[in-house]
Amino acid sequence: MLPSRRACRRLDPVLAFVAQVGQRSLQSLREVGYHAALLAEAFYWLLLGRWRRQPVRLRAVFKEAIGVGVNAIPIVALASFATGMMLAIQGIYTLRTFGAEGQVVLGISLSVTREFAPLITGIFVAGRSGSAIAARIGTMQISQEIDALRVIGINPVRYLVAPLLAAMLLTLPALTVLSDLVALFGGALYCAGELSLPMGVFFDRTFEVLIVQDVLHGVLKSVIFAVIVTLIGAANGFNVSAGAEGVGRATTRAVVLGCIGIILADMVFTFLTSR
Amino acid sequence: MNSADPAIDVRNLVTHYGTRKILDDISFQARQGEIMVIMGGSGSGKSTLLRHLLGLHNPTSGCIRLLGKDITQLDADAMYDLRKNMGVAFQGGALFNSMTVGENVELPLREHTALDGNTIRIMSRMKLEVVNLAGFEDLMPAELSGGMIKRAALARAIVMDPRLLFFDEPSAGLDPVVSAELDELILTLRDAMNMTIVVVTHELESAFKIADRITVLDQGRILMSDTVAAVRASDNQRIRSLLDRTPRNEAMDPDEYMERLTREIF
Amino acid sequence: MDIRIEDQPPFKVVRLSGDVDLHSSPKAREAILACLKQKSPLLVELSAVSYMDSSGVASLVEGYQTAKKLGLEFGLVAVAPAAMNVLKLARLDKVFPIHASFAARLPAT
Ligand SMILES: Nc1ncnc2c1ncn2[C@@H]1O[C@H](COP(=O)(O)OP(=O)(O)OP(=O)(O)O)[C@@H](O)[C@H]1O
Ligand SMILES: [Mg+2]
Repeated sequence: MLPSRRACRRLDPVLAFVAQVGQRSLQSLREVGYHAALLAEAFYWLLLGRWRRQPVRLRAVFKEAIGVGVNAIPIVALASFATGMMLAIQGIYTLRTFGAEGQVVLGISLSVTREFAPLITGIFVAGRSGSAIAARIGTMQISQEIDALRVIGINPVRYLVAPLLAAMLLTLPALTVLSDLVALFGGALYCAGELSLPMGVFFDRTFEVLIVQDVLHGVLKSVIFAVIVTLIGAANGFNVSAGAEGVGRATTRAVVLGCIGIILADMVFTFLTSR
Repeated sequence: MNSADPAIDVRNLVTHYGTRKILDDISFQARQGEIMVIMGGSGSGKSTLLRHLLGLHNPTSGCIRLLGKDITQLDADAMYDLRKNMGVAFQGGALFNSMTVGENVELPLREHTALDGNTIRIMSRMKLEVVNLAGFEDLMPAELSGGMIKRAALARAIVMDPRLLFFDEPSAGLDPVVSAELDELILTLRDAMNMTIVVVTHELESAFKIADRITVLDQGRILMSDTVAAVRASDNQRIRSLLDRTPRNEAMDPDEYMERLTREIF
Repeated sequence: MDIRIEDQPPFKVVRLSGDVDLHSSPKAREAILACLKQKSPLLVELSAVSYMDSSGVASLVEGYQTAKKLGLEFGLVAVAPAAMNVLKLARLDKVFPIHASFAARLPAT
């Protein structure tokens, strides 16, 4: 067993540092394991719950889908619109140095569908719902509602996490496609003003350069993000133990780790698929 | 299950939180239809024992038989079936805050039975009548008083007509009238439904009123598990101090005391 | 649980026996509601009930309320102690018309 933190303080500072690093990495490893187990269990209930007499109810999935998906539409749309415009402004500014403003459509449509739409959607859902999931489950944990579920014979993962995961997996790709469209619209609007490029022409060119794979690339990412946001939110909620303050810490952690998880996963996914 | 078998049979239960031993060699039985009160000072391990009886933790060793089934060995499906026969009212109520009182009470029925919606509604209202909360089903838990939360939690615990009922601290934090009513209710439930009821409490008066048998815990060990009369007559010093509400005057070891105060400094 | 439906003019009689629990009470409920649908006054006989849980009682409650709405008579006959305890718990023993036996109810008509 590793020495306790209090014991560490008395040891040589270097040794204490090493011990702490060891303890931290062990804890991180355990946390990754916990997330994996949570994911496996959530999928298990989604697929086999009916057979085990504990079905995941469609009504619950629907309710969560409204909460995490439909209600996120305004904010995601607004952010996407601004991003599309921003890309157009930057794109035209940069390409003008080469006298190649005409290529801006290619730049916008590729970066929106492959990168920005899934990323913006993921980050905003992590901010909105990752924290909400952690707060809800964390509050239920400290008020013994999770225990109450278990003694009633309701598996908490099946009841709380599985419908959320399903809702996220359904709505995040849909939100991403919406974000694609709105961001492109934002870009088109700016180009129409700055380059006098008619909107129709902008979209014609967009669909010329885009192949299905580009959109799919973005949508696939959003599926991964959906899993990340749900798991990190739920895991942090379930691990709350220290009262209201613990819930606060868990929500912050869920958002920060969720966003970092999304960006790291994005990098890895892009690296693996775009070479 | 043979009707002569005890409804609850705990043998040599040992449990740890981390490396700290909390319960040590706990054994006791309760028959069907019996009210068993678990008593003991603060920190003696009552809640921990209850959580193990509910199958919320895995003990280090020992076995816990509920209605003839050892829950430390049971697979998930069998445990799921057993849970339909168990009702639990937690100390803080643990009502689901996102649901109305009525939805809270209906939840076990909706999850476990295929009964008609009307039947479910009537059943849950009947249980709210039993706990004197008629007409409160549309309120949210946050709108209830402490005593009402306890009673709503009890209604949810008994909505499936369980054979085992667990009740943590029914009277803690309630005024004497309400807690007397709850005691009365526990007795009525046992008489009407022949439930086996485990009550954790440190209210002496209430314990003596409702208990058939009392299990006294002290620092994770059982001091006594016997009838009310026997516990009352006991001359064990720890039990007497619990009953007579005298402060504990333990012998002090000066060296050990100094060690505790100065540990890790020198 | 066993259900038998008999005619004892002017009443229809539903005889329940055995365990009326979460599994069997839906059948009892259906039988009671079906009899009431035929617009006949109803007696439910409970002398051979060995166990009744609150889903059984809820079915009786629903039957009684339905009968009231239709203006039909509804009563319980020879309630076994196992069922009586549960009725008493919800104070329904003071609500249902309860007859000790058929003899107690029939001659009056
Ligand atoms: N989650 C936990 N993690 C670690 N130790 C715990 C935990 N819960 C309880 N303990 C320890 O277990 C021991 C018994 O606690 P328990 O809550 O069972 O006491 P209790 O008899 O219910 O006391 P009270 O009457 O004050 O509620 C205490 O020493 C406590 O510190
Ligand atoms: Mg306690």
